[in-house]
Amino acid sequence: MNGLWKIVLLGAVMAILLLFALGLKNDPREIPSPLVNRPANDFTAPALEGDQPVQLSAHRGKWVLVNFWGSWCVSCVAEHPYLIELAKQTKNRSDFVMLGVDFRDNPDSARTFLARHGNPGYPHAQDPTQKIAIDWGVYGAPESYLVDPKGTIRMKHTGPLFPGWFEQRALPLMQGEVK
Amino acid sequence: MWIEIAHFSTLIALMLAGLMLIAPWIGLRWQRMVWIRVARQAAFMICALLTLASAGLIASFLKHDFSVQYVAEHASLKLPVFYLATAMWGGHEGSLLLWAWMLSLFVAIAAWKHWNTHPVSMPWVLSINGGLLLGFLLLVVFLSSPFERLLSPPPDGRDLNPLLQDPGMVFHPPFLYMGYVGFAIPYAFAMAALITSQGDSEWILATRRWTLFSWAMLTIGIVFGAYWAYYELGWGGYWAWDPVENASFMPWLTGLAFLHSVMVQERRRMFKTWNLFLIITTFALSLLGTFLVRSGVLSSVHAFATDPGRGVYILMFMSALLLFSFGLLTAKSDQLRETPKLESPWSKEFSFLINNLFLVAGACTVLLGTLYPLAVETLSTAKVSVGAPYYNKVFIPIMLGMLALMGLGPLIPWQRASLAKLRQEFLPAGIIGLIGMLVAPLVGVTHPSGAIATGLILFVGATHLKDLLRNIKTRMSRESLSAPGAFLRLVTRNKRRYGGMLVHLGTLVMVAGFVGSGLFQEERDLFLAKGDSMRIGSWSLTLESMDKTARRNWQADEAVIRAERPGEATLMLRPQKRVYSEHSQPTTEAAIHSSWREDLYVVLGDGVKDGVWAFRIYRTPLVSWIWIGSGIMVVGVFWAMLQGRRLQRRAD
Repeated sequence: MNGLWKIVLLGAVMAILLLFALGLKNDPREIPSPLVNRPANDFTAPALEGDQPVQLSAHRGKWVLVNFWGSWCVSCVAEHPYLIELAKQTKNRSDFVMLGVDFRDNPDSARTFLARHGNPGYPHAQDPTQKIAIDWGVYGAPESYLVDPKGTIRMKHTGPLFPGWFEQRALPLMQGEVK
Repeated sequence: MWIEIAHFSTLIALMLAGLMLIAPWIGLRWQRMVWIRVARQAAFMICALLTLASAGLIASFLKHDFSVQYVAEHASLKLPVFYLATAMWGGHEGSLLLWAWMLSLFVAIAAWKHWNTHPVSMPWVLSINGGLLLGFLLLVVFLSSPFERLLSPPPDGRDLNPLLQDPGMVFHPPFLYMGYVGFAIPYAFAMAALITSQGDSEWILATRRWTLFSWAMLTIGIVFGAYWAYYELGWGGYWAWDPVENASFMPWLTGLAFLHSVMVQERRRMFKTWNLFLIITTFALSLLGTFLVRSGVLSSVHAFATDPGRGVYILMFMSALLLFSFGLLTAKSDQLRETPKLESPWSKEFSFLINNLFLVAGACTVLLGTLYPLAVETLSTAKVSVGAPYYNKVFIPIMLGMLALMGLGPLIPWQRASLAKLRQEFLPAGIIGLIGMLVAPLVGVTHPSGAIATGLILFVGATHLKDLLRNIKTRMSRESLSAPGAFLRLVTRNKRRYGGMLVHLGTLVMVAGFVGSGLFQEERDLFLAKGDSMRIGSWSLTLESMDKTARRNWQADEAVIRAERPGEATLMLRPQKRVYSEHSQPTTEAAIHSSWREDLYVVLGDGVKDGVWAFRIYRTPLVSWIWIGSGIMVVGVFWAMLQGRRLQRRAD
């Protein structure tokens, strides 16, 4: 093997390894949504618990985390403890609320789910026919959207929210550090 | 209890793997043979321990022990017993244990078989495999342990991913892994040859069967995967150039290049560095396959179990291995003398060289296509995907080139051929191929690559047949045998050569399948209500009824479709849409009627409104030729493996 080939070979190996090293930081779950930076579709739907319907636009002026879930969804179980923790942690914030949308589900199983895994305490909209979910472009569960005080979707997260998500992803946006 | 036994055996195996890594060094450094023997015993022990560990994990599945996290995540009470046992490799943790177990098994076999015949290489082969085992077992024990217990065991598990509840998917991973892992042995022999500066043929002889075996397993694994994709995913295709499919295809290509180019080294003592490069690359690509599936750097349909944290570890492991291997190759390659030079472009050596260039170029193409989206995403914020059009554009010409070379194979002599001789050898086959190419458009194969492929299939078939007939004739006159007797004598005396020929024949059958299914697939999307009919090809299909059906852990909507065509018995096709009780995502069970001519393939879609359902119907000609061709290939490889390791002196 002459010198040139050696350099080419080792260079290619290093380049591929470097690419993987950098690539590990990518999140395969971050899939761009065409709806980001568009006005969120408003919805009014019966709540899972209580008689008060759930309406998105009622929360104008606050950041709203809209979490799509269902009792049939395995990853929602994994995500649930963090939702409970996040609800507790942000209970006293005046600029942030959480809403759940229980889609493709029947209310009884959803209530059983909350009874079994704990109830985070924020309202959940019922969406048995997936009307809201389809409008929002949801294609899996769980999926979460962050809506800004003007009613614009600012971020989409596919898959379970992870501990620290609020501090790492939501707060910078809310504080205007990320354009 | 079983899981503790499994955990404990794996821990001991881990320590023994460390011992196996260092003991040969000690033995060679201080000339203590006993240490090398210790490494060999360690190899056997590790194999026994990991067998026990795997048995323990499977036993936990069979006993529905949901206090084991891995079992709880990949099984349920309702899961049929067959999938219960094979759910061991349904997720990341268990499949890594399977990897390690297979490696330990192969290492043990190598330590037993090659101990006396390869005394110089053996210490290094043991040490290198000890390192590999150590790397994998560290991962299994510390980063992705299938032995974790749950503090509060659930009453029932989460069930196996429904897409994996299918025989095709059950066999796909173990065969693929056997292929990947099998290349570890030739790799270790190649590294031993580099370390001891004995790049001559010893390592090639030791590894011939290993490479044939691994390549056959890889072929079976890939075809199982393709078959699974074909009938389980419901999209009517078998290959999507998905990153993970590509990951198994790359070592297949380089492994195939290696199988061809070693022959040149055996006969002519050439391509020594190149062969080392090929086998190291093949194993590196096998590891890359594991890395791609398991790290989550690429999004893919195979993202059943991804975790970036483990990705970091696998990356470090892979970096160490790649830099060590290729570093050693560049450092030591100058010591390998290549005495003979290529004498003429009209020689077998040269055709093998071109064949290798095609195969390696193919592997590079796939590698580039696989890494490009990753590079774009890493270096910018855009997401791109490289789809089938890119691969088809680049890959089809490469495949056609390889086919053409395959036709030269049997008739072109070693070293040097005279042009007059070549003309005499190839003229008839060439004319047959040319006629085929010209006639193909008349019978409907109008696509240029289709016509070229048809011509080449005939050309390759003709050269192979000519070679076979000539050799039979020689045998008949030389040993006064009847034609069948001579044929039998021929193929049993030279299993290697005729095994190879059989592989070529299988390839031709497969290519015909690719051409038929790739160019002539008909596809219809339509809505049918009860009693509605439609036509596709010469078939007429009628929706008879829509039923509900259920089994232990799923329920389904099932359509009953009557398929008729003139002069043939009526068929009933029952495509289903299944929902497994523990999962929300429906899976499609396509109804497929397969024959040698074509497949009729019906997928049930969603109900649109009362009594009207969406259907997708394909008619795919010759698709079963792909499966049959791959079967012929595998039989051919096994036939070639039957031949002992002695070098063949003369051309037959």
